[in-house]
Amino acid sequence: MPESCEQVITLGGDLHARPAGALAVAAAKFAADVSLTVGDKTVNAKSVLAVMGLGATSGQHVTAAATGPDAEQAVAAVVAALSDATKVGG
Amino acid sequence: MNPDATVGIVLVSHSAALADGAAELASQVAGGAVAVIPAGGTDDGGLGTSAAKVEEAVKRADRGVGVLIIPDLGSAVLTVRALLTDPDDLPGPVELADAPFVEGVVAATVTAAAGADIEAVRGAAEEAWHARKL
Repeated sequence: MPESCEQVITLGGDLHARPAGALAVAAAKFAADVSLTVGDKTVNAKSVLAVMGLGATSGQHVTAAATGPDAEQAVAAVVAALSDATKVGG
Repeated sequence: MNPDATVGIVLVSHSAALADGAAELASQVAGGAVAVIPAGGTDDGGLGTSAAKVEEAVKRADRGVGVLIIPDLGSAVLTVRALLTDPDDLPGPVELADAPFVEGVVAATVTAAAGADIEAVRGAAEEAWHARKL
């Protein structure tokens, strides 16, 4: 099991309040440290306020990265939450 | 104790509309799994705070793993502190957060929804002081 993992996805919609909430709830269920990077900003994915503060919009590339015992599952869950939550905007 | 139980949140505001609106917003952002109970206004519906409303809200928010109370301003803090000096009538543990009202409840509710304990939920609310919007 890898101790760190990352994946880049392209947002299908803006990362508004509700998508940010869904993402932070998903990330906070893991022991690993989970971050999101958009451009030159990197934030803790478990902090809904920090995720909202990214101001990420449709079409931007987001890197989800995790370090810790369940890093792989954490990134998979965050990517799934991002794809689901940004389908319909927020 | 239910292992899936989440920490409950109580919002104490001088304004019933403000408490209701903040509770609705936080519930929606967090996906609805957490009890976020507003306790706004006086017993006769005016602007102010009510110890009876807060006590009732804490009981409704309790799922067996603790309740975090987030006050708006001034006498909301005093009302909660007075209630907590005699916690025998309340389910425990009940804690008061020093947090910005809107950002604090959103951060606390999201953290509670992920299954965090009351200390982590309180920490998320209090860290909200440092979250920048821009």
